[in-house]
Amino acid sequence: MTNRFNRRSLLKGVLSGGTAVCLGLPTLDMWMNAHGETLANGQALPVRFGTYFWGLGLTDTPAGGSRWVPPTVGYDYEVMPELETFRDLKDKVSVFSGYRVIGDGKPNLVHWSGHASILGGGAPDKTNQMIGSSFDNKVADAIGQTTRFRKVDLAPCGDPKANYSTRTGNSFATPETTPLDLYMRLFGEGFQDPNDPNWKPDPSIMLRKSVLSAVAEQRQALMADVGYSDRIKLDQYFTSLREVENQLALQLEKPAPAEACSIIDEPEATPNSITVDVVNQNTQIMSKILAMGLACNQTRVFNMVHTPGTSTTYIKGEPKTYHQITHDEPTDAELGYQPETSRLAGMVMEGFGLFLKELDAIEEGNGTLLDNSLVMAFSDTGYAKIHSLENIPVFFAGKAGGRHKSGQHVASNGEPISRLSLTAMDLVGASPGEFGNGAMKTSKVVEEVMADPRDSAI
Amino acid sequence: MLRRTLIPGMVGAVAIGSMLTYAAVADNRSSSKQSAQTSKAGITLISGDAEDVVGDRERFVTAYRRLTETQYRNTIADIFGEDIKVEGRFEPELRESGLQAVGNAELSITTSGMEQYYGMARAIASQLVNAEDATDRFGCDMQASKTAARACAEAYFEQTGERLFRRPVRKNEMALNMAIWDQAAEQDSVKKAFENTLVSLLISPEFLFRSEIAERVGDGEYRLDAFSKAERLAFYLWDAAPDAELLKAAESGKLHNQAELEAQVQRMMNDPQFEAGVRAFFVDFLHFESFDTLTKDSQTYPKFSQAVADSAREETLRFMLRLLVEEEGDYRDIFTSRKTVINRPLAAVYNVPYASKADWANFEFPEDTARSGVLTQVTFSSLFSHPGSSSPTLRGKYLAEIFQCTKIPDPPADVDFSKVQALAEGTVRERLDAHRTDPTCASCHVLMDPAGLALERFDGIGQFREMENGEPIDVSADIFGSHYEGARGIGEYLHDNPQTSACFVQKAYNYGTGRPFDYRDASVLSAYEEEFAAEGYKLKPLLENVLTDPKFFEVVVPEGLQARSTSAALETDTAARGGQK
Repeated sequence: MTNRFNRRSLLKGVLSGGTAVCLGLPTLDMWMNAHGETLANGQALPVRFGTYFWGLGLTDTPAGGSRWVPPTVGYDYEVMPELETFRDLKDKVSVFSGYRVIGDGKPNLVHWSGHASILGGGAPDKTNQMIGSSFDNKVADAIGQTTRFRKVDLAPCGDPKANYSTRTGNSFATPETTPLDLYMRLFGEGFQDPNDPNWKPDPSIMLRKSVLSAVAEQRQALMADVGYSDRIKLDQYFTSLREVENQLALQLEKPAPAEACSIIDEPEATPNSITVDVVNQNTQIMSKILAMGLACNQTRVFNMVHTPGTSTTYIKGEPKTYHQITHDEPTDAELGYQPETSRLAGMVMEGFGLFLKELDAIEEGNGTLLDNSLVMAFSDTGYAKIHSLENIPVFFAGKAGGRHKSGQHVASNGEPISRLSLTAMDLVGASPGEFGNGAMKTSKVVEEVMADPRDSAI
Repeated sequence: MLRRTLIPGMVGAVAIGSMLTYAAVADNRSSSKQSAQTSKAGITLISGDAEDVVGDRERFVTAYRRLTETQYRNTIADIFGEDIKVEGRFEPELRESGLQAVGNAELSITTSGMEQYYGMARAIASQLVNAEDATDRFGCDMQASKTAARACAEAYFEQTGERLFRRPVRKNEMALNMAIWDQAAEQDSVKKAFENTLVSLLISPEFLFRSEIAERVGDGEYRLDAFSKAERLAFYLWDAAPDAELLKAAESGKLHNQAELEAQVQRMMNDPQFEAGVRAFFVDFLHFESFDTLTKDSQTYPKFSQAVADSAREETLRFMLRLLVEEEGDYRDIFTSRKTVINRPLAAVYNVPYASKADWANFEFPEDTARSGVLTQVTFSSLFSHPGSSSPTLRGKYLAEIFQCTKIPDPPADVDFSKVQALAEGTVRERLDAHRTDPTCASCHVLMDPAGLALERFDGIGQFREMENGEPIDVSADIFGSHYEGARGIGEYLHDNPQTSACFVQKAYNYGTGRPFDYRDASVLSAYEEEFAAEGYKLKPLLENVLTDPKFFEVVVPEGLQARSTSAALETDTAARGGQK
């Protein structure tokens, strides 16, 4: 596919100008997935993007004894103990080590600066704030326009504050915290079966939509007499309102058929607990629901928080939480690492493995849903014991419709971790060209994992 | 990121809190508490540069603050009736400077939150128009023709809109309402027209956010308009929107009159709804949002359940109401009282008999009890603990932050914790020894651990114990050179420490203003503190004092307001805004 103007030149102008909302780019799909798979009817399969977060990093002690960084770079890396959970899928997962957050003299806000920098593009000034919108929103604005939900947020740990997706830097999206909530959001009222042969538009929706449009008309008037921070608040409000309105607009259109979409049953309730086994169980059930939501075109972008930064998950019956253990447990002189911490890290990573398996279980085109996705997984810290912002573990899972040369280990020597954020955006066709602020500002992507470098393709 | 205009030359002096520009404040009462800042009769002039920012505006919005869940629910119940179900999830709130009321000023509504508000709005509107007595509720005939119903609809939405927006509906808003009504009446039915228009009001930013509006009263002088004052009073004292009487006092402008303001505050504190206001304050003050994510290890604490958690929350609120409202007691007694209010599930945790047939009963622990007020309730014990153990450090930290306004800094990022060893044997006191002996740790932990260790006879859910891992628990504490013993000792310490009551006064003030502590408030706060002490540390006189003080309604000019005339949106009839120039 060739085009006189490209997706990047279009997005560059919009996204670099600050908050970019309500972009009318319905034809963006025509640029996307140019190298990806197509369905039998010639329609390109969409690429999905997600972030997956878990708290407390992985074990990589200063004295040596890494439990996750493979000893060699390139393809066919060794599956390290804490990565055991995705052994079967390692060809679809790239491992990035050695990237770091550069603080520009700002303090290390423990269990916050790491992921706030990865998502926001620069070190934050305060806990619970980012320097601007998180980049998943940029991706959602670029590739999430044509689905019912621009993005969906999930927190299998059950904490409604465990989400790091923000448009304003202050207000964070509220995640679905139980399998049932997620199910109702995706498949409850407003869901339209894309494969329903008897689809008919609901005439009452037009009238409902006009109510939302009318409320949105007040935007300009209300924005005129407020200060800076209230303008941001109102802007977010009207963006949210517009998104709900768009959800209704889409219900008036016949949904495109989705080969892999099949309706699933409502999930049963799970226990209210934050033990590792329950969080992993929730992760698996919610991943299954999410995967079907993606296959049914309800959304193309998601953020999953397995456990938050200061993760208080624990092993049933044990008095100490994972967070306490990472700090309190001494390094075993012989092993060179903290054995209990590493065991918990492995258990927490099992959630990631379960999640990937659910995405890989859905067949789509000639591959799986995972092949048509890119999931950027990361944590808040490198070595949790000292809240390190160096060597924060990052994984890219899925082939991004063929764009991601997956299954590699890429080792860096302290480059800003924002490069990985930019690379992820580029891989799903939503690159703003550059990303980040100050020392974290970058326009370089990690070429090793890009199947078809954009600059030569266009 | 809160950025507001600085007063020139005062940058260095700002320790905590945001930086604000205060506009001149006009009121009918010259406040004795603000002598240092009073310039001319009745006018408190705090900063001279507001004019540059405000331009020739007649009005501007000083802040948008998102309604809390209970404010939303109470408002709906007041306006539409208790029988209207509100089912939906509310987005979490943000805590800043110790209060959600302050953090809320930073929050907006995200898409998932909007979906919920939209769903609730539709459900509320649908219940109302489909109610059997819909005609009575609306005062309009749902079956009438469009032409016949329109005038009635207009009157209804003008009235209901005023209750929902806490101010008269502006002309442009009324036009919008009726456009929505007309369209639905045209294309569907009169009933649908009422339903859709209600939905539009319930998702409007003017309902979901409180907008506080400043109005010009003279050269460079502004005051909060009467409706904004009414709104502040009502959400504080009732946790709900103003009622018709308060709106009337705002509409006539009487609320700017000191005597009327005092009478309204009295009326509101004597109203049964005052209980909801007190509850909401303590829910915020005591960090009760932590209940949303509270879980305990079922093997370690088999007695703990969701019912216990819900009961504990309720116990503490009933305890506060009993001591501070019903008995009009001394605030400081919340740390020492043996009284409480319990139910059956709690009696099991406290290991006391429950003789009452009622769901809840007043209870008094015996004289020799080790328990001491709020400090040893299930609430405090369990919220500030780990899932599988107690935590002297967390308890000490929150005790300092909640009750003494002492912010404990985060630990340094690279601190080595491994001196704090595993839990297998001994008591936690020995394991926390490193906090005391290591100078890096000690500087902060001296503020937390001693008090937390003194509460160690209460486990991670507040059950009494004397031993840990087979060893007796030592509950002695040395704080700033004085010796205290156990929870009773810490209760006495908090009771007698002037910082405790000063902190309460500060939070009571910031809870209403929605702003963080600012050093420029120091003088007025110390005046409130003196009066609080003089009145025997009673809640009602404190609130009366704060809520009737002009300082409480001071106008703050937000940064980024562009100097120009007020836009059409806020241009309304002066009389309708309660303005008396």
